[in-house]
Amino acid sequence: MILNCEEVLENLSCYLDGDGSEEVRRALEEHIAQCRRCHVVVDTTRRTLRIVTDVEPFGVPLAVSARLYARLQQALATR
Amino acid sequence: MPKLESEDQDLQLVDRVLAGESQAFETLVRRQERRVFRTTLAVTGNPEDAEEAMQDTFLKTYQHLAEFRRDSRFSTWLTRIAVNEGLQRLRRRKPTESLDDPGTRDDQPQPRQLEDWGADPEQRYAVQELREMVEAAIRALPPAYRVVFVLRDVEGLTTDEAVAVLGLSIAAVKSRLLRARLMVREALAGRLAKRPTLKSRLLDARALIGKILAMPVRRAPGQKAEKR
Repeated sequence: MILNCEEVLENLSCYLDGDGSEEVRRALEEHIAQCRRCHVVVDTTRRTLRIVTDVEPFGVPLAVSARLYARLQQALATR
Repeated sequence: MPKLESEDQDLQLVDRVLAGESQAFETLVRRQERRVFRTTLAVTGNPEDAEEAMQDTFLKTYQHLAEFRRDSRFSTWLTRIAVNEGLQRLRRRKPTESLDDPGTRDDQPQPRQLEDWGADPEQRYAVQELREMVEAAIRALPPAYRVVFVLRDVEGLTTDEAVAVLGLSIAAVKSRLLRARLMVREALAGRLAKRPTLKSRLLDARALIGKILAMPVRRAPGQKAEKR
């Protein structure tokens, strides 16, 4: 099996998530060993996802959390 | 925490709330508030709307807890309510906005930032700076992509769970996720990629010339083939 650049892009998500067939995985790795452009795209997308996980974006601000509990306590108390 | 164990704990808490122990609801909220906030923020794109939608999500959950049929995870049921609450506010603020895919089948995403990132560009920035970059990149996504990206890549839902929450097909979740990932990558690359060096430009130019030379030569009409 041989993948072109467009097919590498189509299979990028499955490849990074580790699902998809072994055959596609091997073909994709063979392609990126030869193609600098696709290598950069695959490598930097993988790193993007790792950074996203590491930085834990969009935590609940303390004030937002406090207002949530205040409203819930009020609502639960009136029941 | 393994997912199953966590799900069991949620179900135990649900049982306790239904038995009249309202304190257990607070524990349930603490366990889920971050996911609900991220979800409502992803849908609305606006912190005030997200906060209001989060409060209403939990109030509705409390009121309707007895209607939770245990055919899905509790967190999936809750996240679906959060998406709906967020969506109502998104429509109120921007009546033309929806969670419909803004892309078409023909406009395949094309990566534009093709520079290498080098060994560890992440080390150049403090975590807080990286977080701001990531949050800005996610905020800039269209709502339809943003919500899929946040559920899958920030909250760690599986494709099937995202399908259940959003009521989309598997194909739609996958194609939106790919677009979102490429757009976030593109945004981060603007800050993390190495500046092109003379060497990398020369290598790119050489590759381009190679491709041009390999193209078949088309003759102009009437032009005869050159004798060699």
